[in-house]
Amino acid sequence: MKFKIRPATKEDCKEISRMIMELAVYEKMPDQVKITHEDLERDGFCQNPFFECLVAEVPEEHKSTEGFTVVGYGLYFYNYSTWEGRTVYLEDLYVMPEFRGNGIGKGLLSKVAQVGKKKRCVRLNLSVLDWNTPSRDFYAAKGARDLTDSEGWHFIRFDGQNLDNLANEAPED
Amino acid sequence: MEYSIRAASVEDCKDIRRLIGELAEYEKVADEVTITQRDLERDGFSENPFFHCIIAEVPEQHKTKEGHTKIGYATYFYNYNTWCGRAIYMGDLYVMSEFRGKGIGRALMSKVAQLGRAAGCRQLNFTVMDWNKSARDFYLRQGCVDITANTGKHFMRCEGEALEHLAQP
Repeated sequence: MKFKIRPATKEDCKEISRMIMELAVYEKMPDQVKITHEDLERDGFCQNPFFECLVAEVPEEHKSTEGFTVVGYGLYFYNYSTWEGRTVYLEDLYVMPEFRGNGIGKGLLSKVAQVGKKKRCVRLNLSVLDWNTPSRDFYAAKGARDLTDSEGWHFIRFDGQNLDNLANEAPED
Repeated sequence: MEYSIRAASVEDCKDIRRLIGELAEYEKVADEVTITQRDLERDGFSENPFFHCIIAEVPEQHKTKEGHTKIGYATYFYNYNTWCGRAIYMGDLYVMSEFRGKGIGRALMSKVAQLGRAAGCRQLNFTVMDWNKSARDFYLRQGCVDITANTGKHFMRCEGEALEHLAQP
């Protein structure tokens, strides 16, 4: 199936928002999605954007049953390793179920790697839920190492009231 | 002990590189550090920096044997969570061993949280190794959640030859 991968524009944010929700449903957490397409427009297309995004598009004749031609996305941003330098973090990678098996996921992943390479990033990092076997297998097949398994990396998070409490303790400037 | 926490400037990069080396020693990976002072100057202090840094400094009278007054640092960068939006990620947090136990580490982390909140971030994220019990206990005491333990989220990395191969058009 023909498809094209291109940088997202502000106008794509409604489609990206739709697919974010689809991915959350797949990850069994749809009630966790709090942001809207307006948040994406503001945060992805400002002076110092919080993220960048690629979308996968199919021609009209292959549109989805509901009429969508934007059928996948990869959302990423730049991080930094004080050991090796610039890195890229792939936050979301998603392809609508009816379009899987056509190389679109691999295409998006490769494109993010290419973009990172152009910016001289030495690592592509991402995370995956341990029960998500198809995704784990997909990334392992591309040569990704599971650092949680091999080196004991754990994600830690502060949010809500705990984050406020921590922030309130900060020393005066 | 008196100390101050402030935003790093490009002139701090020599000390930041020194402190990075010490943290890498502590994490038993000193020989993996290839970054230079120049990389830090370029990547942290350009128009669209790849990272930000705060420094903990003590007055002259408390300087180390080697004469250092910059005795701790934290790096951070802005991330994005597609469910709740802007997030701040703390990359490194380090205080020289002779200055620990005085609340400096906690103050650095609080400052990162404050900066994140000021930028509209709803999460402060970072990683810790499961063998680093003292760090893990420190963080859990501050009220954070171990997302890996709770949800099974695994951290994956592609680098070197695998990344080259992936980036082929």
